[in-house]
Amino acid sequence: MRRKIPWITYAFMALAAVYLLAPVLWLFLLSIMTQAEALSTPPHWIPEHPTLANYMAFFSPSERQSLMGADAIAAMPRAILNSVIVGVGVALGNVVLGSLAAYSFARLDFRGSQTLMFAYLVSRMVPAIGIMIPLYVVMQRLGLLNSLASLIIAETAETLPFSIWLLAGYFRTIPRELEEAARIDRCTWLQAMLKVFLPVALPCLVATAVFGFMSSWGSFLYPLLFTAGSSATTMPVVISNFATDIHTDYGLLATSGMFAILPPFVLALWFQRWIVSGVTSGAVKG
Amino acid sequence: MALLQAGPAAAPGGAADPALARGGGWRRWSRWKSALFPYALNAPAVLALLALVAYPVGLSFWISLHKMNLRRPKSFPFIGLDNYANALASPEFRAALSVTLKFTGLAVALIVGLGLCLALLLNSEVKGRGILRALVLVPWAIPPIVNATLWQLIFDSHVGAFNGLLLQFGLIESYKAWLVDPAIALVVIVLAHAWNHVPMATIILLAALQAIPRDLYEAALIDRTPRARVLWRITLPWLWRPILVVVILQTMGALRAFDLFYVLTGGGPGNSTTTLAWLTYQTSFVYLDLGMGSAYSYVIMGLTLFMALVYYRGLYKRGDVA
Repeated sequence: MRRKIPWITYAFMALAAVYLLAPVLWLFLLSIMTQAEALSTPPHWIPEHPTLANYMAFFSPSERQSLMGADAIAAMPRAILNSVIVGVGVALGNVVLGSLAAYSFARLDFRGSQTLMFAYLVSRMVPAIGIMIPLYVVMQRLGLLNSLASLIIAETAETLPFSIWLLAGYFRTIPRELEEAARIDRCTWLQAMLKVFLPVALPCLVATAVFGFMSSWGSFLYPLLFTAGSSATTMPVVISNFATDIHTDYGLLATSGMFAILPPFVLALWFQRWIVSGVTSGAVKG
Repeated sequence: MALLQAGPAAAPGGAADPALARGGGWRRWSRWKSALFPYALNAPAVLALLALVAYPVGLSFWISLHKMNLRRPKSFPFIGLDNYANALASPEFRAALSVTLKFTGLAVALIVGLGLCLALLLNSEVKGRGILRALVLVPWAIPPIVNATLWQLIFDSHVGAFNGLLLQFGLIESYKAWLVDPAIALVVIVLAHAWNHVPMATIILLAALQAIPRDLYEAALIDRTPRARVLWRITLPWLWRPILVVVILQTMGALRAFDLFYVLTGGGPGNSTTTLAWLTYQTSFVYLDLGMGSAYSYVIMGLTLFMALVYYRGLYKRGDVA
């Protein structure tokens, strides 16, 4: 027995789709327009002369483009590389440190396990803005300012509690018999881990890595404080410099945004199911 | 969060890995080892979080009790709670607090409202909802700094799509610079922030909707209960707890919002968009007054951790945590 779906539901769905998509669409449209066309009033909702010149500019800028966005264009390739390095570092840190801790919650019974998990969850709630000053002071004393290491360290700590929580939940669903069989075959604990347990847990390890990567990819405050103005800065900082410069070429600015959203888009589509369950738990940073 | 099936249920308190306890002649050593083993596994994570979260939380408070300015790196006099007293007395702080509350209230209301509408829409059995469910992830995947850039390009005074639309509908004569209008700048930031965060609310509320037992709706269908009444008497009562979860998580998110302010307004015009987070940043890294900045940041921390406490005490079931 079903109710008839009124047409108004479809109207609302169309409206919702427009709300979710239109802002990104505008970014995309500006990225394929020349500066002259971007500035036309009223705006061209369908570009009359679509061009990839803005994308090419990041590889070989024309004279005018290098005039309007020289710093950002020059800094972008390095910044993307930095963002990737930091993202991969954070992903690895989360998988390694997270699996170790998560295994203890899933398999071993120990005193204080509830308290420890609670402590992990509370530490996730500490806002970056609340600890940025001492972290800055610490990084300064350790001589880590203007280094990628400072970002990997700070952002791994930020995402680790969630990773532990996510991994522990998944590890619990893996049957104990698997490892016991391996132990009976005289594998050491480490062999049992590497050959039996972790391969079974692979989907969740990958999801953890993806969450870590995406979180660090979008992170702005730490790179701004620790590495801005140096060659170790990441993409969000370069984009923010670009965006706050009033002489900016709009097409180039939009294009830099398109570069930045591409990896998270691909990952979000690919890992849709994991992201939905991760967000549902209320544990993913909002 | 019973409704949300938040976490895997608490593991049955099984004994330690039996294979670990079997140690041949090494029985005592191995028993000792297996008792320490779980702590050893947690040591790297605990050390990292102690050094990078717990210690900074403490150090931040310690710094807030001192006068500390990077312009005078040698001087670090203890001044007790003076920074907090100065904060309470300063009009800047009070203005920032009021902007923060305004921003948080508006943003959270908008996020919950839109999130609820979208979740109800996605929960109805319509063709095409699968596509819409994937589309909901679009704003979620956008990094905050790009979100800021995006909305800057929409409300821009030269190329803005918003200006273009209003002009074409004849609502304005010429392009306006929305972000330099103190009455409007904060609203623009609220819109941008909400767009980025609506997906999270939608996904949580959708999961809650799907946990409502089907037979309640079937009974209502047989009784020919009007739609509005079904929503009011069945759906919403099941949702109040998840809605509260969203409100708390989003409040914490709004209190720490920073990126949008950096790109869109820089706290201006005037101080019309100077929130506590922005004031903290500016005090600390523009005026280099780390002592005062720490005191401000501790107010944000206090508000956030209070919300977290409410969340875990009241809403998160004990069994879900461990």
